Amino acid sequence: MLQRFLDPATLNSIAGLDLIAKTVVDGFVAGLHRSPDFGFSQEFAEYRAYAQGDDLRHVDWNVFARTGRCYLKRYRGETNTQLLVLLDTSASMGYGSHAVNKLDYARFLAASLCYLANVQRDAAGLIVFDEDVTNYVAPSSRQGQLFRLLHAIERAQTGTRTDFTKPFVHFQNFLHRRGMVVVISDFYEDPAVIVKTVEPLRFRGNEVILFHLLDPQEIAPKFREPVLLVDMENSRAAMEVSPEYARHEYRTKIDAHIEALRSQARGAGMDYFLVDTGRPLDEGLREYLSVRRGML
Amino acid sequence: MGFLAPWFLAGLVAVGLPVWLHLLRKHKATPVPFSSLMFFERRAQSSLKHRRLRYLILFALRALLFALLALAFAHPYLQRTLLPASRSGEVTVFAIDNSLSMRAAGLLDEARKQAKSEVAGLRPGQRAQVLAFASRVEVLSEVTDGRAALEAALDALRPSDGRTSFAELSRSLGSIAQSLHLPLRVLLYSDMQQTGMPANFNDLRLNGDIRLEPHPLISKQTPNFTVENVVAPRRVYSGAKTRVLATIAGFGTAKAVRNVSLVLNGRVIESKAVTVPESGRAAVEFNSLEVPYGRNQGAVKIDSADALAGDDTFYFSVERADPRHALFVHDAGNTRDLPYFKAALEATGQSAFAIDPAAADQTANVAPSQYAFVVISDVGSLPGTFEKSLRAYVRDGGAVLIALGHSSMGRAKVPLADLAIQGARYAGREGDLFQSAAALDPSHPSIQQNNRWDDVKFYQAIRVDPAGARIVARLTDETPLLMDEQLGAGHILVFASTLDNVANDFPVHASFVPFIGQTANYLGRLDAGPSAVTVGSFEELREAGRKAAAVDVLDPKGERVFSLAKASTAQNIQFTMDGFYDIRRPNGRNELVAVNADRRESDLAPASPEALRLWQNTASGVAASGQAASERSRRSLWWYVMLAVLGCALTESWLGNRHLSVDKEAP
Repeated sequence: MLQRFLDPATLNSIAGLDLIAKTVVDGFVAGLHRSPDFGFSQEFAEYRAYAQGDDLRHVDWNVFARTGRCYLKRYRGETNTQLLVLLDTSASMGYGSHAVNKLDYARFLAASLCYLANVQRDAAGLIVFDEDVTNYVAPSSRQGQLFRLLHAIERAQTGTRTDFTKPFVHFQNFLHRRGMVVVISDFYEDPAVIVKTVEPLRFRGNEVILFHLLDPQEIAPKFREPVLLVDMENSRAAMEVSPEYARHEYRTKIDAHIEALRSQARGAGMDYFLVDTGRPLDEGLREYLSVRRGML
Repeated sequence: MGFLAPWFLAGLVAVGLPVWLHLLRKHKATPVPFSSLMFFERRAQSSLKHRRLRYLILFALRALLFALLALAFAHPYLQRTLLPASRSGEVTVFAIDNSLSMRAAGLLDEARKQAKSEVAGLRPGQRAQVLAFASRVEVLSEVTDGRAALEAALDALRPSDGRTSFAELSRSLGSIAQSLHLPLRVLLYSDMQQTGMPANFNDLRLNGDIRLEPHPLISKQTPNFTVENVVAPRRVYSGAKTRVLATIAGFGTAKAVRNVSLVLNGRVIESKAVTVPESGRAAVEFNSLEVPYGRNQGAVKIDSADALAGDDTFYFSVERADPRHALFVHDAGNTRDLPYFKAALEATGQSAFAIDPAAADQTANVAPSQYAFVVISDVGSLPGTFEKSLRAYVRDGGAVLIALGHSSMGRAKVPLADLAIQGARYAGREGDLFQSAAALDPSHPSIQQNNRWDDVKFYQAIRVDPAGARIVARLTDETPLLMDEQLGAGHILVFASTLDNVANDFPVHASFVPFIGQTANYLGRLDAGPSAVTVGSFEELREAGRKAAAVDVLDPKGERVFSLAKASTAQNIQFTMDGFYDIRRPNGRNELVAVNADRRESDLAPASPEALRLWQNTASGVAASGQAASERSRRSLWWYVMLAVLGCALTESWLGNRHLSVDKEAP
């Protein structure tokens, strides 16, 4: 196996996000991602029939000599793209049933993506938000951009509640260039609202990828006895929950929520990935890259 | 309902454990932060209530489990009042004490009267049995529901001279209950003597299906005097006056003067007044007993003027006979050993034997059967006819003492005994100067009472191969010194040295006298038994395995004890009444045995009521209610409680597992 799977708890013991990102991404940079634009460069893509007004320099004369028809050679252009990571730091992201909570995991994931972009000389940016935008690093491929990103990620702290509407209106102002938008959140909101809020980004020609981070205890909670649960985003909301309820009804609901979000996101042309924070980070990343081959 | 061990109920405190676990501990619910409650609903509370209810059932089961465990340890029982008829097939046993002490003040008649009134009260069809007991239990009737048969058995009840043994009664009752396979109700009529109780209380243990109802006939000790013991010689061999020593005892008596008489063959010889201290003992000595020839019936009587007359006379037998002759054979030239032997025999103080010396070469016509025993002292050779008749004599039960010296060295074997003579052991200047007796067998009658031969020096000994003979003494070099060989019914005692002071210095030591005295008694079969025995003891009539002519035994009433058939086979006899038993053996060894009741019967102190209750409790743990027409029975609930504990534990385990089936996956 080329890449070993890295346990989140192991990553947590590594000091410095840059080292973590390097450790995770190490091995993924062997392949190049491609630009969504076609250009005229070195790599052949397809033939196209000549149309009036086309530059005669691109006519394949050999084909013309054999067939008597004019065809143009099209080449796949390799360009740099722009990555924008949207990191949710609402209070619920502070939950974790093991050594690494969701926010830490999200930090590792964001850092790894930024590192990956930096390695490929892509412009990368970061928006940290909860119910409002708390930090913004404009996309750039300049020298030192990675360290600015990592520093911003490092400083990200859990805030208040999640509100997608307000910050996403702002995001549209920040995006001037087509590229890729990665949203890392636990998405505790109605899937319809989420998709409706995020969808406008897609309209501007961006690739939108949703990373849905959930703790294992959120996916399949296991309690020994009835517990008094306190909402992390609203400390006044508490509820006594029986293990049976958590075992049956809750799981049905969370599964339905995940499925609804997945289907609605894909319906809207967005990619959706459920990330279990109990699983190794590079395992999830590898799965994502295998699906997204050629896009980054 | 009651508890055998109520203090275990303190274990009910343990019920507090599930109370704490379920009711107190669960209230300490710690709030757990969770990312979002958007997927939880208030409806979850209904599940919680259901779960709480199930926990409450578990709590109740656990509390019940602890309570039942405490209850099981406390051993609950149900006390039920049962009518006698409810003990199906119960047999009433009338056990009546007919020991010597029941002769006092008409106690036996009182017991008979009370028992008859109980017989009259028996329901039709109720079965009963009559037993009489003293040291042995006598069945007077079969198990029957016929009142006439029971009353006849009670009428046939006669007093005995035996000693009360409640232990024997308990054993017999156990056997009866076991053989009948029915519960027994035992009505015990006795004076409840303390002396009848066994030393080990465990011997009184009754089976669970025996219900004992004691009916004590006396409640306090009755004063009683008795002749406790008499010391008199069993045999005398001269007309000299003989000393008789009597012990007079009082049980529960005040200090009193009593008249004590010595009686011989029904004639009062002497009377003396003696002061007996309060509940104490006094000794009386008579020195005027002149015993006529033959077997004489002696007795010491006391004018006790108390309720129990059966222990006022102590019988003893005394026999006067001429000394029996013993043959002493020696070499004609050797006259040193006879004086030593004779002097030693006379020094023992009993003139039971008269020594007839004879030179070895003059014994051809001597019949050994005339003698009580024969001594052959270091003889070189014996006439063949004498040796032959001597061998026959030993085979028929005679006894010979053979001393070996230098004259014996000419023989290859010890005379009669056929033990090989291997050589002589001489002490000399080189090696040991002398040998001494190293190992003595004190169980042998010859040295039973005096086995201190430490300072005796043996200079010469004849080494004999002992073959199968019993070695009684050895010298320090392992040479057998004294051997006992059985030949037919008789004995040959071989002394591997001489009886003079040449080969050893034994004759000049004090231990020589008891050795000769005991050896003579052993060889002459002169037992030194007591002049009287107690009721219940046994006497051997013939040696085991030997059938012979009938042994005639007359009891104190002058009646034959054995039938003709049994008289020729009976090996022994047990004396059952006090008085004189006349035993006439075919070999002429007749005996007059004086038998006295066990003097423990003279102490009429009754056992304490506590002891009797304890005895009752050995059966069922329930004190009998005496005359009560109904009985109270305890039915143990222990098994039921334990079954409930088991059921509770299984249910708790199942229910607990169901709860845990959810929890075990939780972190």
